[in-house]
Amino acid sequence: MANALTLEHVTKRFGAVTAVEDLSLEVPSGCIYGFLGPNGAGKTTTIRMALGILYPDSGSLRVLGEESPEAVKDRLGYLPEEKGLYKKMKAAELLAYFGRLKGMDSRRARARALELLERFGLGDCLERRCEALSKGMGQKVQLAATLIHEPELLILDEPFSGLDPVNVELMREEVLEVKRRGRTIIFSTHIMEQAEQICDFVLLIDKGRKLLDGKLADIKAGSAKGIVLDYEGDGAALRDLPGVARLNDAGQRAEIFLSDGTEPQEILQRLVGRVKIRRFDTREASLHEIFVRAVGGKPNE
Amino acid sequence: MSKTALVAQREFIDNLRTKTFWIGIFFFPVLLILSIAVPIWLEKTKDLRNYAVIDESGWLLEAVEERAATPDLAKVFKTVVERHKKGGQDFEGLPEALKKLAPVLAPLSEEELELAAASAAALAGPDAPALPLPISKEKVQEAMAQFRDSIRAWWRSLPPKEAGKLAPGASKSRYQRIGAADPGKDAADRIERFNSMLNEGKLFAYFVIGKDPVAGSEGCKYVSKNLTDESLKNWFGSLASAAVQARRLSQKSIDPAVARWVQEPLKFEGKTISETGAEEKIESRDTARQWAPVIFVYLLWIAVFTIAQMLLSNTIEEKSNRMIELLLSSLSPLELMAGKIAGIAATGLAILLSWAVFFLVTVKLLPFFVKEMPDFDLLAVASDPLYIGSFLAYFLLGYLFYAALLVGIGSVCNSLKESQNLMMPITLLLMVPLFAMMPIGQDPNGTLARVLSFIPPFTPFVMMNRAAGPPDAWEYAATTALLVVSIAFAFWAAGKIFRIGILMTGKPPRLGEILRWLRAPVGQLPRRAAHEQK
Repeated sequence: MANALTLEHVTKRFGAVTAVEDLSLEVPSGCIYGFLGPNGAGKTTTIRMALGILYPDSGSLRVLGEESPEAVKDRLGYLPEEKGLYKKMKAAELLAYFGRLKGMDSRRARARALELLERFGLGDCLERRCEALSKGMGQKVQLAATLIHEPELLILDEPFSGLDPVNVELMREEVLEVKRRGRTIIFSTHIMEQAEQICDFVLLIDKGRKLLDGKLADIKAGSAKGIVLDYEGDGAALRDLPGVARLNDAGQRAEIFLSDGTEPQEILQRLVGRVKIRRFDTREASLHEIFVRAVGGKPNE
Repeated sequence: MSKTALVAQREFIDNLRTKTFWIGIFFFPVLLILSIAVPIWLEKTKDLRNYAVIDESGWLLEAVEERAATPDLAKVFKTVVERHKKGGQDFEGLPEALKKLAPVLAPLSEEELELAAASAAALAGPDAPALPLPISKEKVQEAMAQFRDSIRAWWRSLPPKEAGKLAPGASKSRYQRIGAADPGKDAADRIERFNSMLNEGKLFAYFVIGKDPVAGSEGCKYVSKNLTDESLKNWFGSLASAAVQARRLSQKSIDPAVARWVQEPLKFEGKTISETGAEEKIESRDTARQWAPVIFVYLLWIAVFTIAQMLLSNTIEEKSNRMIELLLSSLSPLELMAGKIAGIAATGLAILLSWAVFFLVTVKLLPFFVKEMPDFDLLAVASDPLYIGSFLAYFLLGYLFYAALLVGIGSVCNSLKESQNLMMPITLLLMVPLFAMMPIGQDPNGTLARVLSFIPPFTPFVMMNRAAGPPDAWEYAATTALLVVSIAFAFWAAGKIFRIGILMTGKPPRLGEILRWLRAPVGQLPRRAAHEQK
């Protein structure tokens, strides 16, 4: 199957700052692809280039089989990180407007707007002006505006930031629904746990450079296993354990990576009596750990 | 529908929902109505001024009152003639003498009516001078001799309000003399009483006329608490002066006709030349025609400036409400810019068309509503299709030019406050046609006017200003061509700035940086230096 998005040696600079450097990437059709990295890593710039809002300085890209994103704009859906609404417009009207901007005829756009609002539980707000919507409702309308034309490639920039838990759930549902229909989703986030839950593929990027990319399962399988420990008590007890290569301690849960030759058994023995252990198991390293290792330095967050 | 048209349509509908739009729609009609209604209303609500006179000369007050009655009666006669023409209830309500006089007055010209009024006001007085000017029509002479006494008596006893209705603006309706004028023995007491009335506000002012006004102003005084409103003093003073002058002439046995002849100024009759070279009389209409464009320039200036400003704030708002990125994933920056400019142009044209329609309707309907018509020549002239046509055309061209500049500015700014710095040069530029308005109005085809017409930012205003000239056809063609080329260039530049600026956050770029954007090839965004980066 053809790739939904391909980047080859793409570089983008703003003055002396290199936002994206020599980035090559393949996003297969029909998957959920996560762009992961800290703030300022170049995720948004990459997304903007894929949408034709920015042009790369060098390198080439193909979106839905076309050299120029301009040619396929109507088949792309985009939810920017900075989201807004026209305050004076009615919700249904606004959705229909965006549908028409994507090349839908007005009757279809209108019908689809009503359908989406109904589905999102905003059936009563069709005629309400956007300025009168609550923040959560506004977020739903924004998502609906992105989905109205049933895009083949859906690009979401930090889709979960600022959402309340109900809308996070709705967003996740919609993303999965889009995937079920055989379409492709790219989203960016700096929160690894979110990506871990739904991504098929991930790109790890930092300071404009690709650290890793590929199937999430492959990446995880290739990484060293670690111990996940849920505990209560003084975390200081974890710090001076012998045979521990790295420790990610979050207070209630810690991830422990052992140096070669150390058995998990030894660690367990040492911990008993010093902290109250609720869970102790060995498993694949978290994305967070993988990312930190790839950067080769201290955690950024 | 193209995406540009969609954006324009949305902009337009969105604007219909704003207060600014409706304020714009009603701004001009309200201004027009106020400019017509306020003077009329002020005239109507002017307080009746009570004044008193102590006349020690024994004759001057009488002479003044005769002279005051002349223009008032002329106004009454005019009303009588009008009502006679229309007939009906209004005419029937007039006093008998006036009704009989009407058919005689009807054929008279305005000047002759005034003479007839002078005759009615003065001839039968005790100190009557000869008829001011001979009225050629014998019938009028006869009728005057017959009716003047009854008219005079009726006029004297008419209450001021009634007088105002029959003769709008008559002095009788504005100034009312109270109390006896004879000095008598208790003159000093009366002055004391007047003084206390002044303090109580019952009296606006009082005059004392000296014993021998013919000899000089000795003993004449005007006493009032109000030091700013001199209209009563001026009105009474000029009438009294005229009466005294007449006395002086007769004392020296100088024929008043001779005196008039001596004082007669030399008049140069204003003429102009028509297209065919024939001489034509200048009428007030022509003067109005000459000055009407100035009003249009002013309106044009307001319209172009406010509507282009609307585009500026709209662009900045779009940036701040974070819709830009979403929009740009659906259409190109140029489509967005073109759509915005077109949408706001449609808004502006809708406002201006509403003004034009209101204006034309008002000019046509006004005479039915307002009886006391002020001078409406200007309005009639201004509804000339050439003026309205070029007004709309120059609005569109001027708007497009400034729209390109302002949309460029709007795209690089994040708040209206930021845009003020960049707006400054444009505001200054726009002041030029405003300052040049009067000089160009006086000399529409002069050097200043010609030179300024060829500077594109000024062309719409200056050419509108010169419409009374009017400029030659080649000038219209050449300046318009130049303006259109400039608009094309401005759009090209605005497009380049817009597509970069609209995505930019942080501090607005400096001019040098913007110029660099202009040189960058399309399809590639120029670089910002590191320190200019957010």
